Amino acid sequence: MKKVFADDLGANNPVFAQVLGICSTLAVTNVLKNTVVMCVGLIFVTALSNMTVSMLRKYMPSRVRMMVETLIIASYVIIVDIVLKAFLPDISRQLGPYVGLIITNCIIMGRAEAFALSNPPGLSFLDGIASGIGYSYVLLAIAVVRELMGSGSLWGYTVLGDWWTNWSIMVMAPGAFFMLAIFIWVVKGINNKEEESS
Amino acid sequence: MKKDGAMSKRVFPVVFMLVITIVFISITTVIYTYTKDQIALNERLRLKEAVLYSAGVSLPDDPAKVERIYDERVEEVKDDSGRVRFFAVQNPDLSSTESFVIIKTGAGLWGEITVTVGFDMNLESFIGIEILDQNETPGLGGRIGEVWFKEQFRGKKPPLDTVPEGDPTDANQFQAITGASYSTAAIKDIMNTAQEYARMEIRNK
Repeated sequence: MKKVFADDLGANNPVFAQVLGICSTLAVTNVLKNTVVMCVGLIFVTALSNMTVSMLRKYMPSRVRMMVETLIIASYVIIVDIVLKAFLPDISRQLGPYVGLIITNCIIMGRAEAFALSNPPGLSFLDGIASGIGYSYVLLAIAVVRELMGSGSLWGYTVLGDWWTNWSIMVMAPGAFFMLAIFIWVVKGINNKEEESS
Repeated sequence: MKKDGAMSKRVFPVVFMLVITIVFISITTVIYTYTKDQIALNERLRLKEAVLYSAGVSLPDDPAKVERIYDERVEEVKDDSGRVRFFAVQNPDLSSTESFVIIKTGAGLWGEITVTVGFDMNLESFIGIEILDQNETPGLGGRIGEVWFKEQFRGKKPPLDTVPEGDPTDANQFQAITGASYSTAAIKDIMNTAQEYARMEIRNK
Protein backbone atom coordinates (compact mmCIF):
# COMPACT_ATOMS: atom_id res chain seq x y z
CA MET A 1 0.00 0.00 0.00
CA LYS A 2 2.82 2.44 0.87
CA LYS A 3 4.52 1.63 -2.42
CA VAL A 4 1.30 2.36 -4.33
CA PHE A 5 0.97 5.78 -2.71
CA ALA A 6 4.66 6.62 -2.97
CA ASP A 7 4.75 5.67 -6.64
CA ASP A 8 1.67 7.65 -7.66
CA LEU A 9 2.66 10.74 -5.68
CA GLY A 10 6.31 10.59 -6.71
CA ALA A 11 8.29 8.74 -9.35
CA ASN A 12 5.22 7.46 -11.19
CA ASN A 13 3.11 10.61 -10.90
CA PRO A 14 0.44 10.56 -13.63
CA VAL A 15 0.97 14.19 -14.66
CA PHE A 16 4.66 15.03 -14.52
CA ALA A 17 6.08 11.48 -14.86
CA GLN A 18 3.59 9.71 -17.15
CA VAL A 19 2.32 12.98 -18.74
CA LEU A 20 -1.32 11.87 -18.58
CA GLY A 21 -4.41 14.03 -18.00
CA ILE A 22 -2.82 17.06 -19.64
CA CYS A 23 -6.03 18.37 -21.22
CA SER A 24 -7.75 19.12 -17.94
CA THR A 25 -4.45 20.27 -16.41
CA LEU A 26 -4.33 23.01 -19.00
CA ALA A 27 -8.05 23.77 -19.13
CA VAL A 28 -9.21 24.17 -15.52
CA THR A 29 -6.13 25.38 -13.64
CA ASN A 30 -6.79 29.07 -14.34
CA VAL A 31 -9.27 29.15 -11.43
CA LEU A 32 -8.40 27.45 -8.12
CA LYS A 33 -11.99 26.68 -7.11
CA ASN A 34 -12.71 24.85 -10.38
CA THR A 35 -9.46 22.95 -10.00
CA VAL A 36 -10.42 21.68 -6.54
CA VAL A 37 -13.79 20.42 -7.80
CA MET A 38 -12.17 18.78 -10.82
CA CYS A 39 -9.63 17.04 -8.52
CA VAL A 40 -12.28 15.74 -6.13
CA GLY A 41 -14.34 14.50 -9.08
CA LEU A 42 -11.34 12.76 -10.60
CA ILE A 43 -10.30 11.06 -7.35
CA PHE A 44 -13.86 9.77 -6.90
CA VAL A 45 -14.11 8.45 -10.49
CA THR A 46 -10.61 6.95 -10.61
CA ALA A 47 -10.93 5.15 -7.29
CA LEU A 48 -14.37 3.67 -7.98
CA SER A 49 -13.58 2.83 -11.61
CA ASN A 50 -10.38 1.04 -10.56
CA MET A 51 -12.23 -0.92 -7.90
CA THR A 52 -15.10 -1.88 -10.22
CA VAL A 53 -12.79 -2.94 -13.06
CA SER A 54 -10.76 -4.98 -10.60
CA MET A 55 -13.90 -6.72 -9.26
CA LEU A 56 -14.90 -7.68 -12.82
CA ARG A 57 -11.41 -8.51 -14.10
CA LYS A 58 -11.73 -12.31 -13.78
CA TYR A 59 -15.03 -12.40 -15.68
CA MET A 60 -14.45 -9.67 -18.27
CA PRO A 61 -13.83 -10.99 -21.81
CA SER A 62 -10.67 -9.39 -23.18
CA ARG A 63 -12.26 -8.44 -26.49
CA VAL A 64 -14.79 -6.10 -24.78
CA ARG A 65 -12.41 -4.93 -22.07
CA MET A 66 -12.06 -1.32 -23.26
CA MET A 67 -15.81 -0.96 -23.85
CA VAL A 68 -16.59 -2.14 -20.33
CA GLU A 69 -13.99 0.19 -18.83
CA THR A 70 -15.34 3.16 -20.79
CA LEU A 71 -18.90 2.33 -19.70
CA ILE A 72 -17.86 2.13 -16.04
CA ILE A 73 -15.89 5.40 -16.18
CA ALA A 74 -18.68 7.22 -18.04
CA SER A 75 -21.29 6.07 -15.50
CA TYR A 76 -19.31 7.40 -12.55
CA VAL A 77 -18.70 10.71 -14.33
CA ILE A 78 -22.43 11.05 -15.03
CA ILE A 79 -23.07 10.47 -11.33
CA VAL A 80 -20.59 13.25 -10.45
CA ASP A 81 -22.30 15.57 -12.95
CA ILE A 82 -25.78 14.84 -11.58
CA VAL A 83 -24.68 15.32 -7.96
CA LEU A 84 -23.02 18.65 -8.81
CA LYS A 85 -26.15 19.88 -10.62
CA ALA A 86 -28.34 18.89 -7.68
CA PHE A 87 -26.23 20.06 -4.71
CA LEU A 88 -23.59 22.48 -6.07
CA PRO A 89 -25.35 24.14 -9.03
CA ASP A 90 -23.11 27.25 -9.08
CA ILE A 91 -19.95 25.19 -9.40
CA SER A 92 -21.60 22.92 -11.95
CA ARG A 93 -22.38 26.00 -14.04
CA GLN A 94 -18.84 27.33 -13.77
CA LEU A 95 -17.25 24.04 -14.73
CA GLY A 96 -19.66 23.58 -17.59
CA PRO A 97 -18.49 20.93 -20.05
CA TYR A 98 -15.30 20.08 -18.14
CA VAL A 99 -17.07 17.71 -15.76
CA GLY A 100 -18.17 15.52 -18.65
CA LEU A 101 -14.65 15.65 -20.04
CA ILE A 102 -13.36 13.73 -17.02
CA ILE A 103 -14.43 10.66 -19.05
CA THR A 104 -11.64 11.43 -21.54
CA ASN A 105 -8.97 11.84 -18.87
CA CYS A 106 -6.22 9.37 -19.74
CA ILE A 107 -5.31 8.80 -16.11
CA ILE A 108 -8.54 6.92 -15.40
CA MET A 109 -8.31 4.55 -18.35
CA GLY A 110 -4.54 4.31 -17.88
CA ARG A 111 -4.80 3.14 -14.27
CA ALA A 112 -7.63 0.75 -15.10
CA GLU A 113 -5.49 -0.90 -17.76
CA ALA A 114 -2.16 -0.76 -15.96
CA PHE A 115 -3.23 -1.59 -12.40
CA ALA A 116 -6.86 -2.55 -11.86
CA LEU A 117 -6.82 -5.44 -14.37
CA SER A 118 -4.04 -7.21 -12.49
CA ASN A 119 -4.61 -6.31 -8.85
CA PRO A 120 -7.27 -6.97 -6.19
CA PRO A 121 -10.13 -4.48 -5.66
CA GLY A 122 -8.93 -3.00 -2.36
CA LEU A 123 -5.46 -2.21 -3.67
CA SER A 124 -6.95 -0.91 -6.95
CA PHE A 125 -9.21 1.43 -5.01
CA LEU A 126 -6.19 2.80 -3.14
CA ASP A 127 -4.25 3.13 -6.37
CA GLY A 128 -7.13 5.18 -7.77
CA ILE A 129 -7.05 7.48 -4.77
CA ALA A 130 -3.26 7.77 -4.91
CA SER A 131 -3.28 8.55 -8.65
CA GLY A 132 -6.01 11.12 -8.08
CA ILE A 133 -4.04 12.77 -5.26
CA GLY A 134 -0.88 12.71 -7.41
CA TYR A 135 -2.82 14.45 -10.18
CA SER A 136 -4.43 16.87 -7.72
CA TYR A 137 -1.37 18.33 -6.03
CA VAL A 138 0.22 19.10 -9.39
CA LEU A 139 -2.94 20.84 -10.59
CA LEU A 140 -3.40 22.75 -7.35
CA ALA A 141 0.18 24.02 -7.44
CA ILE A 142 -0.30 25.21 -11.02
CA ALA A 143 -3.72 26.72 -10.24
CA VAL A 144 -2.43 28.76 -7.31
CA VAL A 145 0.24 30.36 -9.48
CA ARG A 146 -2.03 30.85 -12.52
CA GLU A 147 -4.93 32.43 -10.66
CA LEU A 148 -2.64 34.59 -8.53
CA MET A 149 -0.59 35.94 -11.42
CA GLY A 150 -3.39 35.91 -13.99
CA SER A 151 -6.22 37.41 -11.94
CA GLY A 152 -4.54 38.71 -8.78
CA SER A 153 -6.88 36.56 -6.71
CA LEU A 154 -7.14 33.20 -4.98
CA TRP A 155 -10.44 31.30 -4.64
CA GLY A 156 -12.15 34.39 -6.09
CA TYR A 157 -10.84 36.71 -3.35
CA THR A 158 -8.57 39.58 -4.40
CA VAL A 159 -5.10 39.04 -2.96
CA LEU A 160 -2.85 41.31 -4.97
CA GLY A 161 -3.80 44.98 -4.92
CA ASP A 162 -4.15 47.57 -7.63
CA TRP A 163 -0.37 47.71 -7.97
CA TRP A 164 -0.43 44.30 -9.69
CA THR A 165 -0.97 44.13 -13.46
CA ASN A 166 -2.63 40.82 -14.29
CA TRP A 167 -0.61 38.56 -16.57
CA SER A 168 -3.34 37.65 -19.04
CA ILE A 169 -1.20 34.88 -20.51
CA MET A 170 -1.48 33.04 -17.20
CA VAL A 171 -5.24 32.51 -17.62
CA MET A 172 -4.78 31.27 -21.18
CA ALA A 173 -3.56 27.86 -22.33
CA PRO A 174 0.07 28.92 -23.02
CA GLY A 175 0.39 29.96 -19.37
CA ALA A 176 -0.65 26.46 -18.33
CA PHE A 177 1.93 24.93 -20.69
CA PHE A 178 4.68 27.12 -19.21
CA MET A 179 3.73 26.33 -15.62
CA LEU A 180 3.51 22.59 -16.29
CA ALA A 181 6.84 22.61 -18.11
CA ILE A 182 8.52 24.47 -15.23
CA PHE A 183 6.99 22.01 -12.74
CA ILE A 184 8.26 18.99 -14.71
CA TRP A 185 11.68 20.63 -15.11
CA VAL A 186 12.02 21.30 -11.37
CA VAL A 187 10.88 17.82 -10.35
CA LYS A 188 13.10 16.06 -12.89
CA GLY A 189 16.02 18.23 -11.79
CA ILE A 190 15.53 17.25 -8.15
CA ASN A 191 15.15 13.56 -9.08
CA ASN A 192 18.32 13.63 -11.21
CA LYS A 193 20.33 15.26 -8.41
CA GLU A 194 19.16 12.61 -5.96
CA GLU A 195 20.14 9.84 -8.38
CA GLU A 196 23.58 11.39 -8.94
CA SER A 197 24.25 11.79 -5.22
CA SER A 198 23.18 8.19 -4.50
CA MET B 1 -18.35 -29.49 -29.10
CA LYS B 2 -15.99 -27.25 -31.04
CA LYS B 3 -18.97 -25.36 -32.44
CA ASP B 4 -20.43 -24.93 -28.91
CA GLY B 5 -17.12 -23.53 -27.65
CA ALA B 6 -16.85 -21.14 -30.56
CA MET B 7 -20.47 -20.00 -30.07
CA SER B 8 -20.01 -19.33 -26.36
CA LYS B 9 -16.83 -17.36 -27.11
CA ARG B 10 -18.87 -15.14 -29.41
CA VAL B 11 -22.03 -14.99 -27.33
CA PHE B 12 -20.55 -14.51 -23.84
CA PRO B 13 -18.92 -11.10 -24.55
CA VAL B 14 -22.20 -9.79 -25.99
CA VAL B 15 -24.21 -11.05 -23.01
CA PHE B 16 -21.61 -9.72 -20.57
CA MET B 17 -21.67 -6.30 -22.21
CA LEU B 18 -25.46 -6.26 -22.18
CA VAL B 19 -25.69 -7.16 -18.50
CA ILE B 20 -23.06 -4.58 -17.48
CA THR B 21 -24.81 -1.90 -19.53
CA ILE B 22 -28.18 -2.65 -17.92
CA VAL B 23 -26.66 -2.60 -14.42
CA PHE B 24 -24.90 0.74 -14.83
CA ILE B 25 -27.75 2.40 -16.69
CA SER B 26 -30.05 1.32 -13.86
CA ILE B 27 -27.73 2.81 -11.24
CA THR B 28 -27.44 6.16 -13.03
CA THR B 29 -31.21 6.19 -13.66
CA VAL B 30 -31.96 5.68 -9.97
CA ILE B 31 -29.60 8.50 -8.98
CA TYR B 32 -31.09 10.78 -11.63
CA THR B 33 -34.64 9.97 -10.52
CA TYR B 34 -33.71 10.72 -6.92
CA THR B 35 -32.18 14.10 -7.78
CA LYS B 36 -34.24 15.37 -10.73
CA ASP B 37 -36.72 17.31 -8.58
CA GLN B 38 -33.86 19.09 -6.82
CA ILE B 39 -32.22 19.87 -10.18
CA ALA B 40 -35.51 21.26 -11.54
CA LEU B 41 -35.91 23.38 -8.38
CA ASN B 42 -32.37 24.72 -8.78
CA GLU B 43 -33.03 25.66 -12.39
CA ARG B 44 -36.33 27.35 -11.54
CA LEU B 45 -34.71 29.31 -8.71
CA ARG B 46 -31.86 30.24 -11.01
CA LEU B 47 -34.32 31.66 -13.56
CA LYS B 48 -36.14 33.67 -10.90
CA GLU B 49 -32.87 35.11 -9.58
CA ALA B 50 -31.83 35.98 -13.14
CA VAL B 51 -35.12 37.78 -13.87
CA LEU B 52 -34.94 39.81 -10.65
CA TYR B 53 -31.25 40.65 -11.14
CA SER B 54 -31.87 41.74 -14.74
CA ALA B 55 -34.70 43.99 -13.52
CA GLY B 56 -32.40 45.69 -11.01
CA VAL B 57 -33.99 44.11 -7.92
CA SER B 58 -31.60 43.49 -5.00
CA LEU B 59 -31.31 39.77 -4.34
CA PRO B 60 -31.31 38.34 -0.80
CA ASP B 61 -29.18 35.26 -0.03
CA ASP B 62 -32.13 33.24 1.27
CA PRO B 63 -33.84 31.29 -1.58
CA ALA B 64 -37.19 31.49 0.24
CA LYS B 65 -37.00 35.30 0.21
CA VAL B 66 -36.10 35.26 -3.49
CA GLU B 67 -39.22 33.19 -4.15
CA ARG B 68 -41.37 35.61 -2.14
CA ILE B 69 -40.03 38.69 -3.92
CA TYR B 70 -40.53 37.00 -7.27
CA ASP B 71 -44.15 36.09 -6.47
CA GLU B 72 -44.86 39.64 -5.29
CA ARG B 73 -43.25 41.57 -8.14
CA VAL B 74 -43.08 39.45 -11.29
CA GLU B 75 -45.80 38.66 -13.80
CA GLU B 76 -45.02 35.97 -16.37
CA VAL B 77 -46.69 36.82 -19.68
CA LYS B 78 -47.22 33.70 -21.74
CA ASP B 79 -48.43 32.90 -25.22
CA ASP B 80 -51.18 30.41 -26.09
CA SER B 81 -48.80 27.45 -25.93
CA GLY B 82 -47.64 28.35 -22.41
CA ARG B 83 -44.23 29.70 -23.47
CA VAL B 84 -43.17 32.69 -21.40
CA ARG B 85 -42.81 35.63 -23.79
CA PHE B 86 -41.52 38.09 -21.23
CA PHE B 87 -41.55 39.01 -17.55
CA ALA B 88 -43.09 42.25 -16.26
CA VAL B 89 -41.33 43.29 -13.04
CA GLN B 90 -42.44 45.92 -10.53
CA ASN B 91 -39.43 47.60 -8.95
CA PRO B 92 -40.23 50.65 -6.82
CA ASP B 93 -36.49 51.08 -6.08
CA LEU B 94 -35.84 52.31 -9.63
CA SER B 95 -37.00 55.42 -11.48
CA SER B 96 -38.52 53.14 -14.08
CA THR B 97 -40.85 51.32 -11.68
CA GLU B 98 -41.92 48.77 -14.24
CA SER B 99 -39.36 46.90 -16.27
CA PHE B 100 -39.48 44.08 -18.76
CA VAL B 101 -37.20 41.08 -18.92
CA ILE B 102 -36.79 38.78 -21.90
CA ILE B 103 -34.81 35.59 -22.42
CA LYS B 104 -32.48 35.80 -25.40
CA THR B 105 -30.20 33.12 -26.85
CA GLY B 106 -27.22 33.54 -29.17
CA ALA B 107 -24.26 31.57 -30.49
CA GLY B 108 -21.20 31.52 -28.22
CA LEU B 109 -17.78 30.01 -28.88
CA TRP B 110 -18.57 26.45 -27.78
CA GLY B 111 -22.36 26.48 -27.74
CA GLU B 112 -25.36 28.69 -27.11
CA ILE B 113 -25.38 31.48 -24.56
CA THR B 114 -28.75 32.19 -22.92
CA VAL B 115 -29.19 35.56 -21.27
CA THR B 116 -31.97 37.40 -19.44
CA VAL B 117 -32.05 41.05 -20.51
CA GLY B 118 -33.91 43.70 -18.53
CA PHE B 119 -35.28 46.84 -20.20
CA ASP B 120 -36.87 50.00 -18.82
CA MET B 121 -40.59 50.47 -19.45
CA ASN B 122 -39.93 52.31 -22.73
CA LEU B 123 -37.62 49.53 -23.99
CA GLU B 124 -34.93 52.15 -24.59
CA SER B 125 -32.14 51.23 -22.18
CA PHE B 126 -30.84 48.15 -20.38
CA ILE B 127 -31.50 47.76 -16.69
CA GLY B 128 -29.38 44.64 -16.34
CA ILE B 129 -28.41 41.24 -17.70
CA GLU B 130 -27.79 37.80 -16.25
CA ILE B 131 -26.16 34.80 -17.91
CA LEU B 132 -28.54 31.84 -17.60
CA ASP B 133 -26.59 29.26 -19.51
CA GLN B 134 -23.21 29.18 -21.25
CA ASN B 135 -20.50 26.71 -22.24
CA GLU B 136 -17.64 29.16 -22.68
CA THR B 137 -14.10 28.38 -21.52
CA PRO B 138 -13.89 28.57 -17.68
CA GLY B 139 -11.64 31.45 -16.65
CA LEU B 140 -11.79 33.08 -20.08
CA GLY B 141 -15.10 33.36 -21.93
CA GLY B 142 -16.76 32.00 -18.79
CA ARG B 143 -15.98 35.36 -17.18
CA ILE B 144 -19.08 36.79 -18.90
CA GLY B 145 -20.86 35.51 -15.79
CA GLU B 146 -18.76 37.65 -13.42
CA VAL B 147 -20.40 40.58 -11.65
CA TRP B 148 -18.08 43.29 -13.00
CA PHE B 149 -18.87 42.29 -16.59
CA LYS B 150 -22.63 42.13 -16.14
CA GLU B 151 -22.81 45.43 -14.19
CA GLN B 152 -21.40 47.30 -17.20
CA PHE B 153 -24.70 47.06 -19.04
CA ARG B 154 -26.86 48.88 -16.50
CA GLY B 155 -28.22 52.09 -18.01
CA LYS B 156 -26.59 51.59 -21.41
CA LYS B 157 -28.50 51.88 -24.69
CA PRO B 158 -28.11 49.77 -27.81
CA PRO B 159 -26.32 49.50 -30.20
CA LEU B 160 -23.33 48.60 -28.03
CA ASP B 161 -19.65 48.40 -28.92
CA THR B 162 -16.65 46.96 -27.12
CA VAL B 163 -13.50 48.51 -25.70
CA PRO B 164 -10.60 46.03 -25.81
CA GLU B 165 -8.65 47.68 -22.97
CA GLY B 166 -9.24 50.33 -20.36
CA ASP B 167 -12.50 51.89 -19.26
CA PRO B 168 -15.26 52.65 -21.75
CA THR B 169 -15.34 56.27 -22.84
CA ASP B 170 -18.72 56.32 -24.57
CA ALA B 171 -22.10 55.57 -23.06
CA ASN B 172 -22.69 52.71 -25.50
CA GLN B 173 -19.36 50.94 -24.90
CA PHE B 174 -18.49 48.05 -22.61
CA GLN B 175 -15.18 46.47 -21.71
CA ALA B 176 -14.28 43.23 -23.50
CA ILE B 177 -12.72 40.25 -21.72
CA THR B 178 -9.03 39.82 -22.54
CA GLY B 179 -8.44 36.50 -24.28
CA ALA B 180 -12.19 35.97 -24.85
CA SER B 181 -12.97 37.97 -27.96
CA TYR B 182 -15.50 35.45 -29.34
CA SER B 183 -17.45 35.26 -26.10
CA THR B 184 -17.47 39.05 -25.77
CA ALA B 185 -18.62 39.42 -29.37
CA ALA B 186 -21.37 36.89 -28.74
CA ILE B 187 -22.70 38.96 -25.83
CA LYS B 188 -22.50 42.12 -27.94
CA ASP B 189 -24.58 40.47 -30.70
CA ILE B 190 -27.14 39.19 -28.20
CA MET B 191 -27.51 42.63 -26.60
CA ASN B 192 -27.72 44.45 -29.91
CA THR B 193 -30.55 42.23 -31.15
CA ALA B 194 -32.36 42.08 -27.82
CA GLN B 195 -34.19 45.41 -28.16
CA GLU B 196 -35.86 44.47 -31.44
CA TYR B 197 -36.79 41.07 -30.02
CA ALA B 198 -38.20 42.69 -26.89
CA ARG B 199 -40.31 45.13 -28.90
CA MET B 200 -41.71 42.26 -30.92
CA GLU B 201 -42.60 40.21 -27.84
CA ILE B 202 -43.75 42.96 -25.52
CA ARG B 203 -45.61 45.36 -27.79
CA ASN B 204 -47.60 42.52 -29.26
CA LYS B 205 -49.11 41.64 -25.83
